[in-house]
Amino acid sequence: MGGGGGKRKKAEGSDVDEQETRDKKKTKKGTMLPSMIKNKEKRSVPPEKKVTRTIENTREVDETVCRPDDEELFAGNDADEFNEVLKQEVTPKILITTNRFNSTRGPAFIQELLSVIPNAHYHKRGTYELKKIVEYAKNKDFTSVVVVHSNRREPDALLIINLPDGPTAHFKLSKLVLRKDIKNHGNPTDHKPELVLNNFTTRLGHRVGRMIQSLFPQDPNFRGRRVVTFHNQRDFIFFRHHRYIFEAKEKKDDSKDKAAKSKNITQEKVIVRLQECGPRFTLKLRNLQHGTFDSKGGEYEWVHKPEMDTSRRRFFL
Amino acid sequence: MPRTSALECPGCPPLRALTTDVLGLVKVVEAHGKTGIPKVVETWGQPNASSCVLAASYSDHKTDPLLAVARKNGLVECLNPINGEALGITKIDQPLSLDGFLNDDHVVGLHLFKTKGIDVPSRSVSLLTCLEKGNAFLRSIPVSDAPENSTTASHITWNVCSSGKIICSSVDKSENYALFGGKGIELNMWDLGKCSKIWSAKSPPSNRLGIFSPTWFTAATFLSEDDHRKVVAGTINHQVRLYDTSAQRRPVISVDFRESPIKAVCEDLDGYTVYVGNGSGDLASFDMRTGKLMGCFIGKCSGSIRSIARHPEFPVIASCGLDSYLRVWDAKTRQLLSAVFLKQHLTNVVIDSHFSDEGSNGNTCDQQADLQVKANEGGEGPELLRSASDSSSSGHAESLAATLAEHRQHLVSIQGLVDQLKEVIPAMQMSISDLTEEVNNISSTMVDGFSVQSSTTVQCQSAGRQSGLKSIDLDPNSIARFGLCPVSITVENRH
Repeated sequence: MGGGGGKRKKAEGSDVDEQETRDKKKTKKGTMLPSMIKNKEKRSVPPEKKVTRTIENTREVDETVCRPDDEELFAGNDADEFNEVLKQEVTPKILITTNRFNSTRGPAFIQELLSVIPNAHYHKRGTYELKKIVEYAKNKDFTSVVVVHSNRREPDALLIINLPDGPTAHFKLSKLVLRKDIKNHGNPTDHKPELVLNNFTTRLGHRVGRMIQSLFPQDPNFRGRRVVTFHNQRDFIFFRHHRYIFEAKEKKDDSKDKAAKSKNITQEKVIVRLQECGPRFTLKLRNLQHGTFDSKGGEYEWVHKPEMDTSRRRFFL
Repeated sequence: MPRTSALECPGCPPLRALTTDVLGLVKVVEAHGKTGIPKVVETWGQPNASSCVLAASYSDHKTDPLLAVARKNGLVECLNPINGEALGITKIDQPLSLDGFLNDDHVVGLHLFKTKGIDVPSRSVSLLTCLEKGNAFLRSIPVSDAPENSTTASHITWNVCSSGKIICSSVDKSENYALFGGKGIELNMWDLGKCSKIWSAKSPPSNRLGIFSPTWFTAATFLSEDDHRKVVAGTINHQVRLYDTSAQRRPVISVDFRESPIKAVCEDLDGYTVYVGNGSGDLASFDMRTGKLMGCFIGKCSGSIRSIARHPEFPVIASCGLDSYLRVWDAKTRQLLSAVFLKQHLTNVVIDSHFSDEGSNGNTCDQQADLQVKANEGGEGPELLRSASDSSSSGHAESLAATLAEHRQHLVSIQGLVDQLKEVIPAMQMSISDLTEEVNNISSTMVDGFSVQSSTTVQCQSAGRQSGLKSIDLDPNSIARFGLCPVSITVENRH
């Protein structure tokens, strides 16, 4: 590769050099480039930063992406199953349970999930069928059921069932890091957290986002400074839990000007610091079922099929 | 490099489909042109969750087509599928339960009678509705431009089942028999004339492990148009079953299809093919003579299929469901022709077969439709069209539109010939022999490939000839005549 380039340079060398020298002369005589000014403050507006092309921002055009001017979308939102919770007519109440056999990381994860989601209650699974549990939860006015499924003592799937009439989302859970494994982690308070949902763009994404939103109370205590983030990137939903703090910090003084210096003493710069509280995990949607959990007779709103993977730039959320 | 252009679908023939969704909207999708891309052209109704459409039925007539929709709030509306006007509304009375509260009882089946019950003077339509708990109503409602909630309309009520939950119902082509089935209800057939049960199925025996699967039908349809005895049903145990009511009560054929409940079954015109859609978005066609899976329709369909409709002429089917796409497929090659995103969970799709491509051109469309009607009425319809209609019934109707277009082209060329004949009137008067020659030339140049035998003895009598030719202009009958036989223009001279 390098050799080839060198050869070509030799062949065309003389011409290119001439061209370059001419260009240099021109620039010396004529306009000054902004990078040639040594005093950085005197430089004019820097050239616009180029946006790197990523798989994410070159995704295939999808007609199901929601637009803010779509009235039908809002009408659909008003009619959907999460509307009651999101309009704060009902406070969310979550039942968390597991699969039948549950040990080591499973209970630890549930412990942390209980601290993340306010008004969440853990019930032992016992030997009940999931349909019975759903029925029980409906009678007890729960709004959602979360089932943590673990395989080989490692949580590997998350099932979220919205009550009373669906939908049911089945996620793959991976890269679980518990709180104690995070360096410099904080311990969350029991304030109601703020919720950040990033990048849920399509209709399906919107629906999943609203479903996640309905797990949390809609009136956060901003004093608690707790943030729960669900960030969607290439159909993977990253969960993070942080605490933030605003810190007043004195501004660095560069200029030699004395007048400015005296000013700066009074001025203070506010910076925000984040502290991760954990847990940390990644979700990927496997399917979204219409209605509550029904593995036999249920119909799906969305199922991933291999034939849909026509391109690595095609995303569904 | 990222792919910047979308994957192209072949496009579908001119088509008009109406879909209903969970917000109670009725959307009209039309495709124009030879390889049209279907688009939403109209949306009727206000989005409201309580007016969610549960069932829809369409009477596909040339004149006075009608769309009936049953909504979640118990209203059954008749709409004009051309402009979306409500023509008639009726309320299905939900029977009160013992403690005085309204039952949670929804309409599951709706059928609009096409052949009978539409009396022209009184302008009323007959409807068969069926509720989840097993109450079936046969009623007629008046249809007018100013609809009113008619509860006084006469109706016949009977109970299909005492327990269980009805999920599917179907009415055969002759509209004498109805089919009901559901959760805990064996498939049963009713004679609508007498309102009596004439047949009911029997569940298949338990398998060799002694496991008995409880009855739970989720979709049912009559297999062929002229035979009400063959019935295809889908169950929640992902089985497609063929019942022959004249043979036995147990299924004749039972085949498994994948692993989700069968949610939609639709019969083909040929009388043995069925299209089957299931709860995870798989669509396939089965040959019910052998129970063989012909093949699956592959096209990124990700949500449960709720409804399938077969076009009466083109070999095209439309499917819709919870993934909010209306998809149009080629029934023969099983290719996806096109998909339209309709934003809501769709519940039903119906196809308007009396839609032609040149709808915007007005007149031509009507002519074409008229021709079709004539052809369908049998009798004295033109031969070629009759054969076209025959072929349509055997599933080769895509040529029909092409033939008609061809005919119109021929007509134009003939008209050109006639015009030229008009021009040469003076010359004709001067010399008959000259004219004969000229006409021979024109006929050979203008209408090649089309057997026009213009008789060589063209003589003229201008007045008589012109009046004769004028009638050609736009009269569909004469077009038909031209299209049909080897056209012989015989301009006669009557001295």
